[in-house]
Amino acid sequence: MSRAVAQRQHKTKIRLSVGFGALGVAILAALVLMPWQTFPDPVLWVAFAAAFVYFEWHTVEVNDRLFASPSIMVLLTAAVIFGPESAVIGTAAMAALGPLAPADIRERRWFQPIVNFGQLVASAAIASTVLAMVVGVGVPTGSSSLDAGLWRIALGSALASIAYGTANYRMVLFIVSRVYGRFEVRPWSHIAAILLPMTGMGFLGGMLGATYLIIGTAALPLIAVVFFVGYLAFESYARLREAQESTIRGFIKALEAKDLYTRGHTERVARFAEMIGKQMGYDGTQLERVRWAALIHDVGKLAVPRELIRKRARLTEEEYEVMQHHVHFVEDLLDDVDFLKPMIEIATNHHAHYDGNGYHGGGHEHGDTPSKEACILAVADTFDAITSTRSYRVALTQPYAYAELRRHAGAQFDPEVVEAFIAAMEKSGHSYGSTIELTDSEARSLAEEGLDEMRKADQVHGRDFPLAPMRRGVNDG
Amino acid sequence: MAEHRLHRLSVLLFLLITSLAATATILLYRSGVSWESWVLVLLWAAAIAGFHAISVPTPSGKRINLAIGPSVAALVLLPDVLSVLTAFTIGLVGGWIVLRFRSKTDRDADSDYVAEAISMIVFGFVGSAALSSLSGSSMPLAWQQLIAITSGAVVWFAVRALVSAWVGTEREDLASRYLWLLALEDWTVALSIFTGGALFGMTWNEMGLWAFPVAILPYAFSHLAFVRYSSTRVTYGQMIRALAQIPEVADLAPRGHSARTADLAVAIAREIGLHPNEVTELEYAALMHDVGRITLTEPAILKAGYTDEDIARWGAQIIAEAPYLQEVSEYVRVQHSPYRRPGEAKDPDIPMTSKIIKVSSSYDQAVHELQLSPLEALERVHRGSAYDFDPEVGASLRRVLVQRGVIAA
Repeated sequence: MSRAVAQRQHKTKIRLSVGFGALGVAILAALVLMPWQTFPDPVLWVAFAAAFVYFEWHTVEVNDRLFASPSIMVLLTAAVIFGPESAVIGTAAMAALGPLAPADIRERRWFQPIVNFGQLVASAAIASTVLAMVVGVGVPTGSSSLDAGLWRIALGSALASIAYGTANYRMVLFIVSRVYGRFEVRPWSHIAAILLPMTGMGFLGGMLGATYLIIGTAALPLIAVVFFVGYLAFESYARLREAQESTIRGFIKALEAKDLYTRGHTERVARFAEMIGKQMGYDGTQLERVRWAALIHDVGKLAVPRELIRKRARLTEEEYEVMQHHVHFVEDLLDDVDFLKPMIEIATNHHAHYDGNGYHGGGHEHGDTPSKEACILAVADTFDAITSTRSYRVALTQPYAYAELRRHAGAQFDPEVVEAFIAAMEKSGHSYGSTIELTDSEARSLAEEGLDEMRKADQVHGRDFPLAPMRRGVNDG
Repeated sequence: MAEHRLHRLSVLLFLLITSLAATATILLYRSGVSWESWVLVLLWAAAIAGFHAISVPTPSGKRINLAIGPSVAALVLLPDVLSVLTAFTIGLVGGWIVLRFRSKTDRDADSDYVAEAISMIVFGFVGSAALSSLSGSSMPLAWQQLIAITSGAVVWFAVRALVSAWVGTEREDLASRYLWLLALEDWTVALSIFTGGALFGMTWNEMGLWAFPVAILPYAFSHLAFVRYSSTRVTYGQMIRALAQIPEVADLAPRGHSARTADLAVAIAREIGLHPNEVTELEYAALMHDVGRITLTEPAILKAGYTDEDIARWGAQIIAEAPYLQEVSEYVRVQHSPYRRPGEAKDPDIPMTSKIIKVSSSYDQAVHELQLSPLEALERVHRGSAYDFDPEVGASLRRVLVQRGVIAA
């Protein structure tokens, strides 16, 4: 990342955190000073604030829209119980505690928590205002939410969660566009897919609040069970998913441990592939598929004798057979794992060319256009190959890699994927590869020098396309 | 083996419950309740019978049917003990028929029914008793209901776990401790079913139809998580199975050895009665016990030479990359250690799981590589019981082989 960009980002971050911090404080101050909101019962408030904070601090990362946010459920249960006259101040105060995650404090991160503070307080205030308006209008002051009728609570909490989700989403977009200077408008279906489960959660939260108003304190243990069993069930699911991923990473590390040149290759390719996917607007499941395909794209090599992988001389026909046999056998093995079936297709086709040439994996014929995911993996794999040092040549520079990718876009690579990758890479501000700027001819001669070695490497991968030297080099993986 | 006994038991129970249902119906009729109450009782009975058809996966990998859900609501909403028991028994009579249609095998239907029916009737008695004994107190009604449901639920859960453990031991040669612990694993699912039922029962009178989403949505959300958990668990197992075969595919280990070892090891562990979590970890460890062999593609290692302990250590290193598999990695690391050394007591640092892997792996090797007969292979394990093979595991191996019909009793 260049210094100027870093400085600009730093300044934007300061401006944003001052702005959002002030917004949060202003909302809270207004609520305290205005006479129309009274603070709810402190015991209840503490209980719900604790639940809210717990969920905010223990967000479970998993690519599943359904479990986007259990905290909206807690928020709306509390808002209904507090009643129209205390809902806004009560929930805004709860939300104010959310961003104080111990991990952030320990690591002295300040930007995220401050911005989150403003964002959460504002979203909570907006949501509970919507609820209070739907529930409280036309009802005598001092009455509970229940007097307005259950359908008003139901409608109010559903609308409130939509407001919460939309407000949150808008603010995140705003922050991202300020810091990274890009404004990506997601398709409506994508937003709806997030809002729908959120509305369900919020509606449920509101109705749970209504049960408290009806049956009193005896509802609290039941509400607590709903919150925590749901959380527990979901958390153990997420942990298992993580375990699955780290297990395969263990095998990858074993593969890469002994070969200095490919160390970290899989992890980087997985990261690049995910970056491209994000840039292209992929959602959770699609991103996960691409990441997994990247993680397993080299697993087949585990079963190949290492002297074959690293052999510098030409492989004999027999050795080549052995190698392909082993790789395919592992792919067949992984194909038995239900979850990995779609990823195997991507992983085995990452050497296929956009125009239908090149090496195709199982189930694909020469001339077929590989799937978008396979194209993503191809670009990620190639970029890493160019920018890292291999046994047959030194690492090349990032601009050179861009140029190579662009040069072969349309033939070997999908042009859309190449541009998405370059855009995402520039946005991330990271750089890979050699920092020594070479002229084009220098890079080319370097490549020529390693040509012999590269030929051998290509043989290992069973590729026989007669291309310019760099093209061979760049496709190794 | 004991299948016909289980079937007889379930039929007997069905007849017993049918006669109970008839008695309760007659008694209820004699007490002269209104026709509205009859409709209510029959509606709840129908709900209980119908919910037998819905069974959901649990984290422990088993299934649980939802019949207890409506019975919790019925307990609260029906006016007295007699109508509760009438609804429960009629519902269970219907449930027997529903299960017979639903389950893939009669065996599943039988064992499900025995566990569900006994525990539900116990729940009905305990819950109603608690409810009627609390009814005179000054406690708010909702708390009375909640306490009655909770006490009924605790008894229900314990009875269900005990009965299914007992039914399980009738069925296979599994340790009752294992089955009992396995049934206890499912408390989260049970808790969320009970919460759904309780929310419905406690809010129906005030909320009317709104009670449906209130009861169903919370359950539905956690249900989706449970379903995802169990499907992930299946694919995780599949993935480990696939990865464990890599050394075999690379001709670095005998084909099928890891799968056979895992199969035998799990059978022994269940027979001994390890904790279900340990059994799962053992399964993974046994599958991957030879994974260290993938390093044998490294020419330098081949030149330098290696021992079994080295392979175990390399395998453990690969597995240890996954934070979730630390235990599994440890089991693999010490898999070759003798369970005791000359002149010493048993080594407490060698976990039972590792001893089981050692026995199963070496038995499988004896049978499939050394071409020994099962009896000779078992004899080999017994002969090594001074230091190498724990006699407890050896004895369990013998019982498993007898039970599988591999060797004569």
